[in-house]
Amino acid sequence: MSLENQEAIPIREDIEVSYLIEKLKERTQIDIEAYAGKDYSKKKLVTEADLHRPGLALAGYTDLFTYQRIQVIGNTECNFLRNLSESERTKSFEKLVSFDLPVIFITSGNELSNDLLKKAENRGIPVYRTELETTKFMYLLRDFLEDYFALQTMLHGTMVDVYGIGILISGKSGLGKSEVALDLVERGHRLVSDDVVMLTKKSNVLLASATEMNKHFMEIRGLGIIDVMSMFGIRSIRYQKRLEVILELSLWEDTENLNRTGLDHDTVEILGTKIPLIHLPITPGKNITVIAEVIAMNYLLKHYGYDAAEEFQKKIKKHIADKKNRHDMPRRAVEYFEGDFE
Amino acid sequence: MVSKKVTVKNESGLHARPASTLVKTASKFKSDFFIKMYGYKVNGKSILGVMTLAAESGAEMELVLDGPDEEEALEAISELFENRFNMAP
Repeated sequence: MSLENQEAIPIREDIEVSYLIEKLKERTQIDIEAYAGKDYSKKKLVTEADLHRPGLALAGYTDLFTYQRIQVIGNTECNFLRNLSESERTKSFEKLVSFDLPVIFITSGNELSNDLLKKAENRGIPVYRTELETTKFMYLLRDFLEDYFALQTMLHGTMVDVYGIGILISGKSGLGKSEVALDLVERGHRLVSDDVVMLTKKSNVLLASATEMNKHFMEIRGLGIIDVMSMFGIRSIRYQKRLEVILELSLWEDTENLNRTGLDHDTVEILGTKIPLIHLPITPGKNITVIAEVIAMNYLLKHYGYDAAEEFQKKIKKHIADKKNRHDMPRRAVEYFEGDFE
Repeated sequence: MVSKKVTVKNESGLHARPASTLVKTASKFKSDFFIKMYGYKVNGKSILGVMTLAAESGAEMELVLDGPDEEEALEAISELFENRFNMAP
């Protein structure tokens, strides 16, 4: 089964402004007050995660004005408006609100005069105001929106957290993915999702979770459906985990291209993010659970700067270069055996 | 690769039992089996996958089969949808 070419689906196409405000307050604890045009907030839709500061639009340049984005008016814009004569100010603001803006945020505790607010309201544009600094507010809002408009996809596989590393076990049906996950849970690791994994892309990182339906159930062939959380307790599950490695299980047949040194790194691209991929054929005597733990530990070692394959490569290269004569035999690792009597 | 649009006809939708019948039937064949719904593609040989869709009566989905016995598999699976998964109405 191919992991690539998964269709990316946005969680939502649009958000109502009223819903956005409500959730934003709830999640980020920012104080946001409705300033004008509150009645229109149920009708206006935000369709993009990007934000825009309409400085140039206020100055009169509206050729490439991204009016469909959320508009944030901070100190710069407010200062600019303040320094205009009253007629110019009205003209400038009227031009801004003549576009179909979804919503305007006034940040850093700035204020707009009542007649300007009235103009926004007449055009059906809701205006909100916050004391929070523009950049901080934009960061929080942007992060929040990115989550709402994030692309997601569904993969077939089982997601586990092994020593803090998110591993997706993939492969055809009936290979024993769930059984490996069960074994891992038994050894103290945590299940994120069995069989169906929802991936969400957020700032170039893929976050995995279960679906509302399958969360923390597992199917064991021959047994049926079990509930991992009630069986093994809260420590055996996780709601979300970053996807870091994919472990693709396969049958013994096609094993020509197996990685034998670990010097070459295979990756697979999902939603535009490259994820390391490990192919593992199932063979008699192979304990996939232990291998999954080793994969996690190896990943951790690499993360902390130690790459076993690279170190071994360095060692062998040095040895070849240092070899004084051609017949230097392989030597044992122990120089002198003391008596080992038993 | 073959595909076909089908509709869930049994009144209670694709709950555990029909899902199990569907998965069992699909697993008899070698071909890969996917169900496309809501733009997502789930593995039709995975019972949790099929149940994640929680397809109600009247829901439409696309069956996609790919493999050596795709034609027979598609026929057997679409027949299940026609026969309301061999369940009492």
